[in-house]
Amino acid sequence: MKSVIYHAFSQKEADELDVQHSGVQQAEAFVRAFLRRSMPHMSRQAREDQLQRKAVVLEYFTRRKRKEKKRKSRGLSARQRRELRLFDIKPEQQRYSLFLPLHELWKQYIRDLCNGLKPDTQPQMIQAKLLKADLHGAIISVTKSKCPSYVGVTGILLQETKHVFKIVTQEDRLKVIPKLNCVFTVEIDGFVSYIYGSKFQLRSSERSAKKFKAKGTIDL
Amino acid sequence: MAGPVKDREAFQRLNFLYQAAHCVLAQDPENQALARFYCHTERTIAKRLVLRRDPSVKRTLCRGCSSLLVPGLTCTQRQRRHRGQRWTVQTCLTCRRSQRFLNDPGHVLWGDRPEAQLGSQAEE
Repeated sequence: MKSVIYHAFSQKEADELDVQHSGVQQAEAFVRAFLRRSMPHMSRQAREDQLQRKAVVLEYFTRRKRKEKKRKSRGLSARQRRELRLFDIKPEQQRYSLFLPLHELWKQYIRDLCNGLKPDTQPQMIQAKLLKADLHGAIISVTKSKCPSYVGVTGILLQETKHVFKIVTQEDRLKVIPKLNCVFTVEIDGFVSYIYGSKFQLRSSERSAKKFKAKGTIDL
Repeated sequence: MAGPVKDREAFQRLNFLYQAAHCVLAQDPENQALARFYCHTERTIAKRLVLRRDPSVKRTLCRGCSSLLVPGLTCTQRQRRHRGQRWTVQTCLTCRRSQRFLNDPGHVLWGDRPEAQLGSQAEE
């Protein structure tokens, strides 16, 4: 009986109805990929179980727990952090080359911000703009640091949090570098600027809101 | 209304972050953590400097977990009918928070209203 219902199209019928006749392997792969996409929170084992076995419902719970409509538009922060908003280790397989377009985007953004490559005027203006600008996607290197193993690390900035830069180096390693007591170098089109990390102990979003004062020269 | 310089820089930064999030997602559709981080930064900046954003941009960001919503990839979009009106419901897949938009063919787009156009022309 099953063969009457689930019968693959013959070639003639397929041409007639203008339908692609795909193989069995492909159809199964497609179904699996679709299920994986639509139920991401179940593990692969659980999905296979669902397909193979049919669970028998012994008891029926009518306990309906409403998902709380959040009154605060933000949501609970502890729960958010737990959802791994930060990186997991697996993206290290994403090569450095995947972030190069991001770097190109950043270069365009900075060029647009400064209205020109090297205007030869007022490096102070460029610095002031850099303070408010966003550094995600820039190529950063460490020139001076209290801890000598950090010196010379270069890579694309992926995340900036309150005390730390997260960088991907060219060997696809995720390096976490504290800002304290480090001097970073940012280079745009031949315009080099140094960033004293000790003064930058702010979240990147706070940095664009805060005015900076020159308060004593701190070396390292 | 004069265009204050600081705001323009801030808007450029917001714009850059938004594009960067899209770029990252385009490179790698599986990992949404980085895109979420950028959108969270964006939201914090906008909140800190009290910047107004266009509704069409706000709709693609989830309010609960601040991830970038791409229908089909990060969120589901469905059309529903409720009391005789047609709503579009967008549900974020990570925090499962849903947003509803009224979808009415007779409705004039609010950005195209004459007051809004006058405002943007005066700025230019």
